Amino acid sequence: MKFDLSILAKHVPFLLEGAWLTFQTCLLAVLGSLILGTLVAAARTSASPQLNRLSAVYVDIFRNIPFIVQLFFFYFGLPEIGIYIDAFTTGVIAMSIAGGAFTSDVIRSGILAIDPGIIEAAQVSGLKKSTIFRKIVMPIALRASVRPLGSVFINLILTSSILSTITLNELTGSAKIVASQTFRPFEVYFVLLVAYAALTWFVSILIGMLHRYLNRNQAEGAV
Amino acid sequence: MISIAGLRKSFGAAIVLNGIDLEIRQGEVVSVLGSSGSGKSTLIRCINGLEKIDAGKITVDNFDVSKPRELSEARKRSGTVFQLFNLYPHMTAVQNVALAPVEVLKVPRKQAEAEARELLRSVGLSERADAYPAQLSGGQRQRVGICRALAMKPSYLLLDEVTSALDPEMTAEVLSILANLAKGGTTMVFVTHEIEFARSISTRIAFLDKGQMIADLPTKEFFSDKGMALPRVAQFLSKMRKD
Amino acid sequence: MRYDQFTPYDLVLLLQGLGVSLALFVSTTLIGLVIGTLWAVIRFYRVPVLAQMVAFLAELLKNSPVLVQLFLVFFGLPAFLKINVTPTEAAVITLSGNSAAFIYVIAVSAIESVGRDQIEAARVFGLTRWQILRRVIAPQAAAFAIGPLTGLLVNQLQVTSLISVIGVMDLTKVGNILNLRTLKPFVVWTVVGALYYLAAKLVAHAGARFEKRLRAHTAWKGL
Ligand SMILES: Nc1ncnc2c1ncn2[C@@H]1O[C@H](COP(=O)(O)OP(=O)(O)OP(=O)(O)O)[C@@H](O)[C@H]1O
Ligand SMILES: [Mg+2]
Repeated sequence: MKFDLSILAKHVPFLLEGAWLTFQTCLLAVLGSLILGTLVAAARTSASPQLNRLSAVYVDIFRNIPFIVQLFFFYFGLPEIGIYIDAFTTGVIAMSIAGGAFTSDVIRSGILAIDPGIIEAAQVSGLKKSTIFRKIVMPIALRASVRPLGSVFINLILTSSILSTITLNELTGSAKIVASQTFRPFEVYFVLLVAYAALTWFVSILIGMLHRYLNRNQAEGAV
Repeated sequence: MISIAGLRKSFGAAIVLNGIDLEIRQGEVVSVLGSSGSGKSTLIRCINGLEKIDAGKITVDNFDVSKPRELSEARKRSGTVFQLFNLYPHMTAVQNVALAPVEVLKVPRKQAEAEARELLRSVGLSERADAYPAQLSGGQRQRVGICRALAMKPSYLLLDEVTSALDPEMTAEVLSILANLAKGGTTMVFVTHEIEFARSISTRIAFLDKGQMIADLPTKEFFSDKGMALPRVAQFLSKMRKD
Repeated sequence: MRYDQFTPYDLVLLLQGLGVSLALFVSTTLIGLVIGTLWAVIRFYRVPVLAQMVAFLAELLKNSPVLVQLFLVFFGLPAFLKINVTPTEAAVITLSGNSAAFIYVIAVSAIESVGRDQIEAARVFGLTRWQILRRVIAPQAAAFAIGPLTGLLVNQLQVTSLISVIGVMDLTKVGNILNLRTLKPFVVWTVVGALYYLAAKLVAHAGARFEKRLRAHTAWKGL
């Protein structure tokens, strides 16, 4: 059989719509993961043993159970307890929770890597705990974590394809529709695979740039 | 006044400070001397509340540092300068200096930064005010560290071997700033191995030996027969002079 | 008889599903190990063209969603090559390829972790490149790789859950069936999640023990 991509041309707008949905879910999930990951990292590095244990359990659970199982748990489970939300919202929530577990691990190691002397300097100058966390700990930990966080977010992009299983027509979901309409699944999924790879490659370049930008003043030497 | 009475501090089984009594009044410059491991750093860290004390009482202007509520008041009154600077790496010199005034004293940011610039100028750093710590030399970093402590207008300055991470040239530039501060009447508790410098700026010398304060004398007396009469002090001074 | 109740047989079903998941996990891991190592050897010998192709393929597989790879094999290949691909075959092909890509990356860095000087020294003794690879590099590289490999396997175990989407009767698929029949999503997905969790812990534990043994072994040899 011939490898013919031209038949896909007229489906490009439809696929782009799916890509746009993927972009939205990923952006929201990244934000959600960051917020959740930050809170959990704060809990895990806090002095309270209960918070410590609780956050460790959360990370352990959501890192060791397949995302699709988590997704079904929310998608089929939430209506059961009277929460009716659409597939998009469910997907964003599930991705944020799963992503939050990985994100918190990254941020936590960023926090643990901070020179304790810097924290002590902030303490003795009378700053409140919350101020130290916001103004000292987080900015330093996040700057140091750009690259590993980037890997987590790239994984989140790849994970978002699984949302197609709960009827969300993001990029993979749209491609499924196009594949069945054109009877050209090989071409469709091949292009899709390359598109995801290109997308993650592009994002990893952006992350590298962001890393260099945020750490531009941390290199030894003159201005 | 910083008042230390019956201070005891141990790490696990090791008693690091044992029965320390010390009073530091406004305007005094007290140098804390003693060999390595004698507990000098620990003493400083007890005063600014970085270590929990096991027994005794430390007050800064009558605020008890072991009481969480009073600790923040005590900390407002003392500024600490660290051996390894401990600057905030993600902030410029000005931001390092202005942070605590803005956050703790609620000084408007504009004003705090203007004051920070003025402080940095006074230590010869006006050109480097917007540089980040990584872009500064060791001596410059420590000068920023001193400004950061001074920005809170503390009644007391606690300094723990603030020049020991610096080469001689940078040491000289930092010491001259401290000498000026001493002359200007800033109260200081000064841990150092720079004996001659301690002698030139301090009003009193406290000598720690294995966690005990075996001498607390006016500088002149410490470096006279009275100090030399104490075998540990004599030993320490002769060793330091040889080095 | 009511069909929306759990029956003792459901337990058998769940264990069967778990068995399918584990069997596919183990077999595709072994295949992936062989292929991934082979790719790394191709790179070690700097085989022209082939080495570049392998590197590119690994990048592509690492940076695209497994679900899309699965669709490409299961829907795409039969349409394109006019062959028959069963769900299980598609699962084996996809998971093996995906594991191979990640194992390739681990193997390459493991080989690179062995110092150049050791290789130079071995060459001076007149060892052939193959002997160097087997006698000098392989034992050390294996010790280096076991840690990252354990992390990868915990991840790949979870990845197997995606094959449920193309109809393989794995643990997740059984979950789907029970979910639809009993309409008790919380119970079903919690049980399924717990089984995955236990399996993941088992893999992590085994990896840690194996690593300990391997390290003890190399340490002893080094004396
Ligand atoms: N966090 C800690 N845990 C356990 N032991 C400690 C700790 N901090 C200090 N010590 C011990 O307490 C003793 C006193 O230490 P300290 O740092 O106060 O000495 P120092 O007089 O400042 O010495 P140096 O001149 O070398 O700086 C040492 O024996 C040290 O090993
Ligand atoms: Mg010390």
